[in-house]
Amino acid sequence: MAEVPSKTARAEWGTRFGFLMAMIGAMVGAGNIWRFPYVMGNNGGGAFVLAFLSLLFLLAAPGLMAEVALGRYTKKGVIGAFRDVVGRGGMVGLGVVVLMVNVALMSYYSPVIAWTLYYAIHSLLFTFTAAGFEAEAFMTGLFENSALMIGLHTVVMGSIAAILALGIRRGVERIVVYAVPALVTALVIMTIRGLTLPGASEGIAFAFDVQWEYLTYSDTWIAALGQALFSTGLGWGIALTIGSYLREYDDVPLGGGVFTAIGESSVGILAALAIFPIVFAVGVEPDAGAGLAFVSLVQVFPEIPFGGLVAILFFVGFFLATFTSGLLITEVGVTTVSEETRLDRTQTTLVVCGAIWLLGLPSAYSVDVLDYLDFVFGNWGLPLATLAIIGVIGWVVGPRRLRLLAVNRNAGVYVGRWWDPLIKYVIPTVMIFIMAYFAWENFGTPEMIGGMLVIALFPIIGYAIMSVLEGRGGRPDTAGVTGGDD
Amino acid sequence: MAFGLSTEVIGMLAFTLLAFWGVAGWALVRTLRQEGRKVEILRHQDRMDTYSPRALAELGEWIEENPDDPLVDDARDRYNECVETLRRTDRHFYDWSDEEIARLERR
Repeated sequence: MAEVPSKTARAEWGTRFGFLMAMIGAMVGAGNIWRFPYVMGNNGGGAFVLAFLSLLFLLAAPGLMAEVALGRYTKKGVIGAFRDVVGRGGMVGLGVVVLMVNVALMSYYSPVIAWTLYYAIHSLLFTFTAAGFEAEAFMTGLFENSALMIGLHTVVMGSIAAILALGIRRGVERIVVYAVPALVTALVIMTIRGLTLPGASEGIAFAFDVQWEYLTYSDTWIAALGQALFSTGLGWGIALTIGSYLREYDDVPLGGGVFTAIGESSVGILAALAIFPIVFAVGVEPDAGAGLAFVSLVQVFPEIPFGGLVAILFFVGFFLATFTSGLLITEVGVTTVSEETRLDRTQTTLVVCGAIWLLGLPSAYSVDVLDYLDFVFGNWGLPLATLAIIGVIGWVVGPRRLRLLAVNRNAGVYVGRWWDPLIKYVIPTVMIFIMAYFAWENFGTPEMIGGMLVIALFPIIGYAIMSVLEGRGGRPDTAGVTGGDD
Repeated sequence: MAFGLSTEVIGMLAFTLLAFWGVAGWALVRTLRQEGRKVEILRHQDRMDTYSPRALAELGEWIEENPDDPLVDDARDRYNECVETLRRTDRHFYDWSDEEIARLERR
């Protein structure tokens, strides 16, 4: 336990719906909107869906159950949860690794939220349907305007700080219970608009045509694996943090596992249905990332009836998707730092958001920096965090113990023994494979070198910090639960 | 064929909607209904059973098999809390029969 005086009773989600929307709001982000549809269409359509779905059930849902359960069991943020498990000492630094990865992730995600905010504002001003509008020049203009990007980054982090300072119930929950349904509604209306356009069927065929041979390609499975693990945010500390605010009688596996994994992926499916019929109806080439959202789609809106309104639905929905993710990613740091220091929640929020704002300045200033960090942390930093959390659950807590003590307690569905080897062996092996695969694929590049530095330095920094702070020279004490159970 | 789509595409679309939105919707409705039942039970009593018969049996089995485990006291507390609650309350969240409750023993 941290030697910090107890401040107030720990917050809890006000409603079950609030918890569920927090999970979905956290996990549905830019990737669901601008990456998933293209990856799906380009990797065999329906064949990719089958591969992706099987990996969701095999890895993502069980993994999320474990992460939420650890948060619920310890009722602490990432560092406190690790301390409860491994005992005081340097190994608590694994929690610091998760925290550092989250802060790094948010530092370059905030400028992405800033892009979506900028486009949402311009959709409300009907900029995209105005005469003489040039999509590519508009996007390049934004990316090259460093002052504007830094200003927008400041607005995003300021807004996140304002909401987080209000707390879990009055801040986060109040936003997500409206934002997530609003996002889904926006995509549903956009889907209906798209499906009623002539030529929309080509878009459906692109996304859902079943090319069975793709199931035999390793690229399809690696793409599905990446999507299943990264899209669900497994092991980033977000699910652990959200789970730590669950109430006494709340369920973990049904809501935190099955609903979150399948529900957040459903938004990606809906995005495919919303985007591709419109894109193909107008005859624009499908794309992914900024090219899809900020060029292809923006070129499409003036060509379709009510295009200005559809643009509002899309970009406001897109902004909500990224903003709610940003809220919960930042909450990981706020929860943890608040527990580990004498700062109150408002002070913690200002410190964490201020630090993220400062670290995010290079990414706001230059898209190249953002792309570099995205590649490094996407391929190595986030899997490292996942390996830390799932590794500790699998090899220190022990999956059986966690399942009996937290997963199946008050559970909406019974989780059997099949779950244990998935947590102990399969997910850690997959994370190591992913890191090794991307290192091999990018061998010798600056990105790979950056990734290796993250893998090597973050654990050393985390270990050193906690060894010094806890004053035990890294030796675990008996407060931990080391020993495993299997 | 609707919209000029092949049967295979329509079939895949239907399967995808069912597998994703169908399962997510089922999980959402089920968990919210369970929440409603829990709230209803807690209106009548201040405590509620925390384990299903199968989950409690497995917990009991683990306690027997691991008497020296660092977490066995925590596990025992949780087991006994559920047993006590089942004995002292009328309404149960999980499907416990009177015979099953009568057979339970504290660990």
